[in-house]
Amino acid sequence: MEGSARYKVPGGKLVSIKLEYDTSIKKVMILGDFFIYPESALDEIEECLVATGVDKSETEIANKINYVVTSSGIRLIGVTPDAIAKAIKMAVK
Amino acid sequence: MRWRIIPIRASDAYFNMAIDQAVSESVHAKTSDPTIRFYTWTPSAVSIGCFQSMADEVNVGRCMELGVDHIRRITGGGAVYHDSEGEITYSVIAPEPLLPKGIRESYKFICEWIIKGLAELKIAAEFQPINDIAVHGKKISGNAQTRRNGVVLQHGTILYRTDLNRMFSLLNISKEKISDKMIKSAEERVTSISACCEASMEEAYNALLKGFTDGKDFYFGSFEDDEIKRAEELKSTLYSTREWNFSR
Repeated sequence: MEGSARYKVPGGKLVSIKLEYDTSIKKVMILGDFFIYPESALDEIEECLVATGVDKSETEIANKINYVVTSSGIRLIGVTPDAIAKAIKMAVK
Repeated sequence: MRWRIIPIRASDAYFNMAIDQAVSESVHAKTSDPTIRFYTWTPSAVSIGCFQSMADEVNVGRCMELGVDHIRRITGGGAVYHDSEGEITYSVIAPEPLLPKGIRESYKFICEWIIKGLAELKIAAEFQPINDIAVHGKKISGNAQTRRNGVVLQHGTILYRTDLNRMFSLLNISKEKISDKMIKSAEERVTSISACCEASMEEAYNALLKGFTDGKDFYFGSFEDDEIKRAEELKSTLYSTREWNFSR
């Protein structure tokens, strides 16, 4: 299945999700007008989400993103792990 | 530390973005001084942030009809219409130690130079976090920054005159939104130098130049031959390619 969603982060930027999934995420694309440093880290975040069960809670997904962000020293501006997780859950129909 | 100031010149979108990267590389290699450059876009262009989708954000067909370039930046942020006569763009390219360590702080730091330039035109502007400058709450400047190999590249645009109808015909906004209400709403959210004062483009540029150079040790220079050669290479192998521009 495919899903998509757009979510405006309160006080931040727009995050848009394009998702391919069945019981878990097959492919995810995170789009938007936010800033991530280094920019190449977005691939790392997208990769960490592949194979995540779509029944996982928003908090569990956010924790997974947060782990990568913290362990790799990634800086997010205008977007947060919580906001990405929320948009992913919105994209799952 | 002396700054190299490269006076305003018009180039196409692909060269404009390629030369920013080429100069970042030469600043990293210490073969060039920290640089501030001013430029315009000819032909007019739409740029999108590096995390955006070209197909989602831009009416590519309309761009091709009107001869408007479309390009993905290496910086984040949103889609911007760069009218060839409607804005002044700048890039600041400098080693990280010359600017505040924090990204948010460094946005503010560089934006203060723009605010100082606008003050020369008696325009009272203020920094609007994360990366904008506004006059009475209306956006007049948007800015985007990347950091690679210890070098900060921040570029941004200062609106001189806006053509909202043209902008909306090039950016993908659903048809229902392109109504008088939408245009009016955008007019309430966006302003420009010409909406605030009677300064000519040249006067606006000179004011911004003063804002950017005030208190700095600087000289007027030009791109090195190696920088232009590298930019031409990046233009043909990256910035003008479909693989890059439509990668998302």
